[in-house]
Amino acid sequence: MSFANLPASPSQLARYPVEARDAYERFRTTGDVEALSLVILAAVRDFMPKRNLGASNVELRGDMKLMEDLGYDSLAVAETVFFFEDLFKVRIQNTELLSVHTIGELQKFVMQKLAESNNTPSA
Amino acid sequence: MSSFPGGRRVLITGLGFITPIGNDRATVSASLRAGKHGLAPVQFLGNPQIPVRVAGTVKDFSVDSTSCREWAWPAQYELPRETLRGMAPHGVYAFCAVQQALADAGLKPVDVANDDETGMFCASAGSAMLMHNNLALMHAVRGERGNPMGVVSSIAGTLNFNLAAHFHITGAVCGFVSACASASHAIGYACDEIRLGRLKRVLVVGAEELNAETLLPFAAMRALSQQSDPTLASRPFDAGRDGFVGAGGSVVLVLEEATFAAARGASVYSEVAGWGQAADGYSVAMSHPTGAGLQRAINRALTDAGLDPKDIDYVNAHGTSTPVGDRAEAIALKTLFNAAGARPAVSSTKGLTGHPLSLAGAMEAGFCALAMREGFTPGNPHLVNPDEACADLFLPRETLATGPAAVLNNSSGFGGSNVCHVFKRWAP
Repeated sequence: MSFANLPASPSQLARYPVEARDAYERFRTTGDVEALSLVILAAVRDFMPKRNLGASNVELRGDMKLMEDLGYDSLAVAETVFFFEDLFKVRIQNTELLSVHTIGELQKFVMQKLAESNNTPSA
Repeated sequence: MSSFPGGRRVLITGLGFITPIGNDRATVSASLRAGKHGLAPVQFLGNPQIPVRVAGTVKDFSVDSTSCREWAWPAQYELPRETLRGMAPHGVYAFCAVQQALADAGLKPVDVANDDETGMFCASAGSAMLMHNNLALMHAVRGERGNPMGVVSSIAGTLNFNLAAHFHITGAVCGFVSACASASHAIGYACDEIRLGRLKRVLVVGAEELNAETLLPFAAMRALSQQSDPTLASRPFDAGRDGFVGAGGSVVLVLEEATFAAARGASVYSEVAGWGQAADGYSVAMSHPTGAGLQRAINRALTDAGLDPKDIDYVNAHGTSTPVGDRAEAIALKTLFNAAGARPAVSSTKGLTGHPLSLAGAMEAGFCALAMREGFTPGNPHLVNPDEACADLFLPRETLATGPAAVLNNSSGFGGSNVCHVFKRWAP
């Protein structure tokens, strides 16, 4: 499965580390789910409020909670969601987000959204 | 003396400058003394056909992108991403100017945070660039998604929303929108809040960004100079002037109640002795031909300060370098001052900076405060042939080596809004 309908080298990732940009390209061309997880992780790090955590180089794990552990507020969550909507050309409803608390849940959720949108090319 | 009960007096105790003529107090002062302008060649939308060729640019910042990820500012200012995310380009200038003004006043951010006696009054027109970007996306996706920071980063009020949240301002926060009189209104009402005893300190913030979205609509009004030589482009009161030159930046003033400032040993630039405002009731964009509203605003400011025209040594004119506006102001000044046998020095520092719209009143109040404390009077270095309407005004070309004891600062905005401040050398 590939996601060739997504643009190559999107401007949203222009300032991301090369590993994240490579992972996006790998996901786009091969559908590699691990690669998508890396892109999501890079975005989580990018939107994480630095003030609350002190350092941005803290190791991120799938079981970490966005709000409680990483200091996300609801605006940072909304920003992250908008980023994925814009990057992956999907639409995410507020109600869908209620079940997303951890990094792992976010990764799973985005993958699921992408799988759905890949089945409905007009989305 | 002021008609306010309680005898409270208001002082300027800190300044922060991000301006076309310098990004710190020392550079601004040196530029004003030397008559050195901050205008530079510009080209908007990659189109050399646009007849807007110079502007008062802000140096050492890069805020042209619609994505805040790509913005850059001088390294000494620490601007966290969670603050940056909701900001407009001019918010970045303002953030740096607030930091500078606090340091200049001998204050730390922690001193104003959660202090119920410190307020913040802001002036900007919002960010037309980000507004356009957000609404273009909205139309492109037929309203299905949008940037969650779109509102707070772009509408008029973006300055107050972001800065008050970041600096934890709890006394009061509000914004002023009266076009080119906005920051002057902010200073006036800040002064009143302190004189009424409601606040002890107000941070007054003015800011504007300089980009196609902010400036080119003024070209459509035929209000901008078409000159490419900076010394010809912005030449207030010159017979050959042909419109204003746009500018960006931010200036912040720390205003404090006098006994409160003295108790913490603050050093003083000058007293805000009074202010006044009046409206033209005449045109949506043009000044009244004889500056009728401006004359009333000047009289009210002088009355509030308890001064006569003869007491004023220097007038920092609104003088944007437009044919109609400068003439009206010149007539207003002649009518009031000449009749009283007074001949203060008059200059418009917009010759050096260009016209920063909502920011103008704060920028020029900052320049006046600097001139009063450091002992100089800014001149009109680009003035060659004064307009005949200015015949009886004292318009020095060179900076004068003496500082004024009392200053009048004029601002006028669309819809005939006129606001004037009187600053006085501080005598406790």
